[in-house]
Amino acid sequence: MKKYFYSHIVEVESLFLELEKFGFSEQEKAHLITLIDSSLHHAVLDAILSELSGGDKKIFLEHMAAGDEGKIWKFLLGKVENIEDKIRRAAEELKGELHKDMKETRGKG
Amino acid sequence: MRLVDLPLFKKIFARQKARHYEYLSKKWTARHGELRERLGSKHGDSLKWLSEKVSPQQLAAGSLGGLMLLSVPTASALSAGGLPEPPANIAQRTASKESVLAAELSGKLPPEVRPLTAEEERDIVEVLTKSFGFKVVPEMEGKRLNRSFGLIGGEQHLYRFPGDFLWKHFETEEESRLFGPSGIAPGLGAWRYFAPSEAEFTQRDKMRERFYIAVQTFLAPGFSERVREYVDFFKFRKMIVVNPETGQSVVTVVGDAGPAEWTGKHLGGSPEVMYYLGLDKGPRKGPVLFFFIDDPEDKIALGPVSIK
Repeated sequence: MKKYFYSHIVEVESLFLELEKFGFSEQEKAHLITLIDSSLHHAVLDAILSELSGGDKKIFLEHMAAGDEGKIWKFLLGKVENIEDKIRRAAEELKGELHKDMKETRGKG
Repeated sequence: MRLVDLPLFKKIFARQKARHYEYLSKKWTARHGELRERLGSKHGDSLKWLSEKVSPQQLAAGSLGGLMLLSVPTASALSAGGLPEPPANIAQRTASKESVLAAELSGKLPPEVRPLTAEEERDIVEVLTKSFGFKVVPEMEGKRLNRSFGLIGGEQHLYRFPGDFLWKHFETEEESRLFGPSGIAPGLGAWRYFAPSEAEFTQRDKMRERFYIAVQTFLAPGFSERVREYVDFFKFRKMIVVNPETGQSVVTVVGDAGPAEWTGKHLGGSPEVMYYLGLDKGPRKGPVLFFFIDDPEDKIALGPVSIK
């Protein structure tokens, strides 16, 4: 899983543990983990960008492209109230759906 | 009498696993597509602005890497239940440019994979040179390969220096996951190691192994008459490889000779090359265009290339 500036507040291990139970090959697992990783990233970015104005979106994206975590957090904390909660909520919502998918898959036998 | 038929049990279990994988892969691919679409439709303008401002390499290296790396459509990925077509998001601009290139090439390529005529080659080289903003040529210093349109197959990683091993190739978990399963070739490449020792191993060597292709140097016209000269010419020669079905393109170096003629393939690509061409799923094989890059000052970076 790629490390993102929000990785410390988004727990993903439970998804991997669940995925592990299927006994997929390394390649299959890698593919599914990549989908999880990217899906979460898209969901979190959507949540953040939805809180920003047009000009602020650009500043945020520039910090993201530069990979400067300090600047990203300083900027977000100054612009969006409870941004950490909002990130966490967006991730949790998607994680819930992914867990549900895995449960459903196992139920299919 | 056997109470449990073990092979049968194994077979059933394997089938169930395959079904589960297929189901999850399809479901999550669709969900990923929806998320991308949502992101693109809501924030496409800002993402487009960024993609015009910074290079794809910089985007891939920063925190947006997860977006960029996964946002390029691949026909093979689709057929293998991989990632879906992108929506109007950060990659759409790139993807649409790639689609334009693919469309332009489709009108100039023969329906079957065969060596191109001189006229076809001229037309295609012109399109590619215009698209990439650097000079693409089928022949350099009077040397050329036996073809410039052929089937590429996935290769393994190569040992880069004495004592190298597979997992040393990756810097992040994501790289390990994406490129580790391809494994490492048991023997050395045609040019032996990329560096004589780990201490002398440079970033340039690292990029060369990462973005290497294997071409059939031994089938190049004139090779058998002047082997040494041809080997020197081909060693780490910079080439562009283009997936004409999607327009995805990678700047590579010739890092090995092969594959053998009997394989039916005409060149091989490192795991990273195949990934960025969108040919890393399913049979890991597909038609590509491959030409030399005229870059005497070595200014063009190896890796996925953006279209101007």
